[in-house]
Parts: sequence; C-alpha cells; structure tokens
Amino acid sequence: MYVGPLRSLVDELGRLPGIGPKSAQRIAFHLLKVESEDALRLVDAIVAVKERVTSCTICFNVAEGELCEFCSDPRRDGSLLCVVEDPRDIVAVERTREFRGRYHVLGGALNPIEGLGPDQLRVRELLDRLSDGEVTEVILCTNPNLEGEATAMYLARLLVPLGVRVTRIASGLPVGGDLEYADELTLGRALEGRREVDA
Amino acid sequence: MLEAIGWLATGRSIRGASRETLVRHGADRAILRAETSITDKQDLIEAEIPVVRATRTQLNRRPIRRHAEMAPALQVSVFSPADRRLVEGGPAERRGYLDEVLVERSARLEAVVNDVEQVLRQRAALLRQSGGKLDPSILTTLDVWDQRLTMSGTELVVARETLVEKLEPLVSESYTHLAGHFEHVTLTYRRSWTGELVDALRSAREQDVRRQVTTVGPHRDELEIGLGFTPARTHASQGEQRCIALALRLATHDLRLQDALEPPVLLLDDVFSELDPHRSAALVERLPSGQVLLTTAVDPPPAVGAHRVVEVARNSLLGRFSGQ
Repeated sequence: MYVGPLRSLVDELGRLPGIGPKSAQRIAFHLLKVESEDALRLVDAIVAVKERVTSCTICFNVAEGELCEFCSDPRRDGSLLCVVEDPRDIVAVERTREFRGRYHVLGGALNPIEGLGPDQLRVRELLDRLSDGEVTEVILCTNPNLEGEATAMYLARLLVPLGVRVTRIASGLPVGGDLEYADELTLGRALEGRREVDA
Repeated sequence: MLEAIGWLATGRSIRGASRETLVRHGADRAILRAETSITDKQDLIEAEIPVVRATRTQLNRRPIRRHAEMAPALQVSVFSPADRRLVEGGPAERRGYLDEVLVERSARLEAVVNDVEQVLRQRAALLRQSGGKLDPSILTTLDVWDQRLTMSGTELVVARETLVEKLEPLVSESYTHLAGHFEHVTLTYRRSWTGELVDALRSAREQDVRRQVTTVGPHRDELEIGLGFTPARTHASQGEQRCIALALRLATHDLRLQDALEPPVLLLDDVFSELDPHRSAALVERLPSGQVLLTTAVDPPPAVGAHRVVEVARNSLLGRFSGQ
C-alpha cells in the first residue's frame, strides 16, 4: 500500500502493544507531518532508553546506572521490603506516597502455563537480600489474581521460616467510590476482611 | 428463535453451536435485537455476532462487559432433548450442570469455578514440565498449587453438595409428576477423595506426576442419579432418562423461582418429540408460571394454551395465528 520508509514505519508501530493497524497508520502520518525536530526528539528518547536504562543490580527495578533511585536513596527504610511482580507496580505503590521502604521486582508471577517457575523469577536474589538481617518485614505486593496469590503463598512458605515478618496487601473497595458500582468479587472480599469499629 | 433469545441471555449458543452456524450462510454477521419488559421496566438488548472477531452486546445502547449484567433484563431456563446427556452422559455433564446453577446464583462461586479451572491448568502445566520426576523445585511449587486447589476446590465441592441437597426433593417431585406415579429420584454427590483435599493430593502425587494429570479433585467428582435405587445412567430406559433430565431442569427452574422475584423465560426446544403424549401433557401441566417459548415438530399436547403460534416451513414463516 505504502512504499519504502513509510511502510516500514507503519509496520513497526503496528507491532507495539495496544496499537492496531489504523492507529499505526494515524501515528505514522502524524510523524510525517510534524517538524523534523519533534520527530527526532522521539527518536532520541527511544535511543536513550535503549542505551541508558538498565536493570537495578539489587532490586531489578528499571535504573539509570547500577542502582535504581530507591536503592541508591539513603533515606529509604532498608528494613521494609515490598515485593512486586513488575517495575510498573512500583510506580503504583509510589503514588500512595506512604511507603518509604525498598522494593524487589520478581519479574512476573508463578505461571507454569507460560513456563514461569521459581527459577525464572528473582526468588533466589530475594533470599540473598534477606541474608544480612537488615530486612525485618517483607510485604507481598503481587497482583490479587490466581497467579499473584500463588506466588505470595509460595514466597510466604520460603520466608516465614527465616524469621522475617511476612505480610500480604489486603483486597477491598476503592476509596471515594460508590458501593453500588463495586464489582461483586471485590465487595465479597471486602466483606470477608471487615473490621470491628471502635466506638 | 429460541437460539436467538438464549444467546441474548447467556452470550453463547444454547445448543453449543459454533459461531459459523449461527450466522446465515453467506452473511458475515448476525444481528439480534430484543425488547424485554419486566413488570413496568422496559429494556432493549442488542447483539452483533460476527463470524470472526469479538461479539458485541448492548443493554439499552450501553455496551456490557460480562453477560451476567444482562440478568436483570433477561434470564432463561432452557429445556432441550439434548439434556438427556445429563443422565446418560459422562460425569462432566453432571458437574457442568451443577456448576452452571451455582454460577447463576453467586458471583463469588463463579470466581471459584474459574479459579479451580485455572489452578488445574497451571497444575497440569507444572506436571508436564516435571517430566515424570519429583525434584525439589517442582515439589515446592506443587505444594502451592495444591494449597490453592484445596481452598477453591473445597469451597466448590461444599457448594455443590449443598445444592444437591436442595435439588433432590425438587427433582423427585417433578419426576413423580411427569411420570404420573411416585418414583424416588436420588441425587448423590460422590467426592473423588476422602478427608482433606490437600492430603488426598499429597498421597496421589506420585501417580499424578507419573500420569501428568491431577487424579483427585472437584473435576473428578460424580453426581450419581438413581431411579428407584438403581443407577439411572445404566438402568433407566431412554424415556425415563429424558424424564429425569426434564425433572433436573424443572428443579433448577423452581430453585430460581425461590431466589428471584421474576421468573426466567422458559425455552422448550422440541421437547414433545421425545415424550409420549401422557408425559407431554404432564409437562405442560407442570410448567411453572412465567413466559414460555416452545418449538415443536409435532402437534403440541392439547393442554398448551398458546398465546401465539408461529408456523415455520422451509425456513419461511407460513403464517401467524393468534392462539386460543
């Protein structure tokens, strides 16, 4: 349909997650139209990401250099460790502005169907981090789905015998929302985890 | 037409037909549209079923994500000759029947049913990866999946057993009415293990690893149906089996009436062709209140006081007659 460079741009864009053929075409034509410097800024950003962004050697979060911003920040509480599946989950936890500890990125959850077992996740690295006794509490912050729950269960089995406090994030209702819009499962879980009210 | 109503209510074919067979030959999609009215509330349901790509369903011009959202506007109970498989078919048919009822009654149990299926898939994948050997890393993860399966599986089985207890008297009652004489239909839920599921999984582990399947659990249980204390699957005649299948459907319909204020629409797909005149008449008499749509290739029993009759021959409507 299109020739040469335009064709390959549409094809490349179409390979990105969440972008179908029509979106790919629209973005390609947009890039064709904008000023060269605007398009080149995008090119630079992509190149910079590929060249400079690495994986933190301690927690496996995305990093620029050897350590990520949390592992290199001395003000962070080293006794609290939050275990997540994916670096994007760190962004979510950070938005709470409540958590001042450090993180550990597993790189997924137990999922035999997709060939993910403990050896494919950064479980051994997690155990290594606990060996010096600095960490006193591990918060299991994996997704509240079957695989995430199984992973939390698996980690709890490994960690509890080490004498470290192991906690799991709760499931419940979104704050500021209406009960009537809550989905049945979340509401069910919230009912299960209900708490006594102090008078 | 029953297929269309069934599809709108459940999001799938009531006969288990494939997408291609639902769409008219040569067309690339089917469009369904229905106006429903429950007491004083009117709803508009629309669905687009393409041969390929995802189907789209709207309730009052608003797209819906899950078909459960359709429940307030349209619910159906389906009766068809194929239901006999509930009695003469394998255990999976009867487990599926129970789970279908549970899923309708509780969103939580729907999640439990899905959980059990997913855990079994994950466990099967793990068993395949083990290559028949029990090494320590497989063992520790197997422990975790066993624990998950025990949690969800036990909850599911307890729910199935409670349901069976509620259904048994209703099934007997319906059967007795249809058959015209008293006959005790027994429903017995048999677990594929004894004691705690987690212990059963542990003792079956070696076998599971060798055969690379999960040999105990809710997916191996059986609902035994007995007619006058003999197993209906092997000892009942075809007529009796059809009658039991109908009684099972009527029982779940009764159960739904107990829960919901509004009775579901009953869809009877060609059931009279399979029943003798006596049983057909008994069925008509036994039909619960509410709207009923039925198709038949034979003359319906005289007791059918049809409000409206539509005659179909060679794919075209011959005529519409207002009923008695």
